[in-house]
Amino acid sequence: MSIRVVSPVAGLAAPLGEVPDPVFSQAMVGPGVAVKPNGGSAAAVAPVDGTLSTLHPHAFVVSTGDGRAILVHLGIDTVKLEGAGFTLHAAKGDRVRAGQEIVTWNPTEVEEQGYSAVCPVVALEVGQDELSDMTEDAQVSGGDPLFTVDS
Amino acid sequence: MAEDKAAAILAALGGQGNIVEIEPCITRLRCEIEDGSKVDEAALKTAGAHGVMQQGTVVQVVVGPEADTIASDIEDLL
Repeated sequence: MSIRVVSPVAGLAAPLGEVPDPVFSQAMVGPGVAVKPNGGSAAAVAPVDGTLSTLHPHAFVVSTGDGRAILVHLGIDTVKLEGAGFTLHAAKGDRVRAGQEIVTWNPTEVEEQGYSAVCPVVALEVGQDELSDMTEDAQVSGGDPLFTVDS
Repeated sequence: MAEDKAAAILAALGGQGNIVEIEPCITRLRCEIEDGSKVDEAALKTAGAHGVMQQGTVVQVVVGPEADTIASDIEDLL
C-alpha cells in the first residue's frame, strides 16, 4: 500500500531544497516537494484523505489512518501574518478528503508583504527513501499528484 | 517520557529563568530567551531536536510534529 499525495495549490513543483528555510530545505522534519504557487486568491486543498490533526491559518497537517502525516505550509515565516488574509474552511479534527478546500489565501499578497509564498508539502518524519514518483520542475494544479509515500 | 523531553529541552535553553517566550509552530519551537550564550545546542540535539537555529536571543528548535505538545509540556514546567 502507498499513499498518493496531491498538490494543495496550483503552481510550479520544485525540489524541497529550494525552499528558503533550512527546516524544510534540509528536510529536518521530513522529505517532500515544494510548490511555488501561481498568483491570486485561491483555496489550498487537502493533500491526502485523513484527519485534519493540526490547523493554523498558514499551515495544516492531515494525518492518514495508517500513521502518516502530511504537512502543508503556506509560505515561509507566514506565522508572523497571524492569520491575516487566510480564511479557514475546515476545523481541527475534521475528516477531510484529498482535494477538499481547507484554507483560502492569496500568495500574491503574501509576497507583497515580503514573505516567500512557496508551499512545502512534507511527509513528516519519514525517510527520503520512502518517497517516490516525485513531481518536480513541472506545473501542477491543485489535486494533481506530487509524490507517493510508502505505508 | 514526553515530559522528560520537555525538561531536557528547557534545561538546554538555559533553564526556566532564561525563557522569555516559547511558541510552537507545527514542527518547531520558536523561543525568545534572555541570554543566547546559555543555549546548549548539543544538549538540544541530545534531547531530540532535529535541528537548532539561533540568531541572538531567538532560537528555533526543530522538534517535529509534536512541537505543540512539547511547548505545552514546557509551559507546565515554567
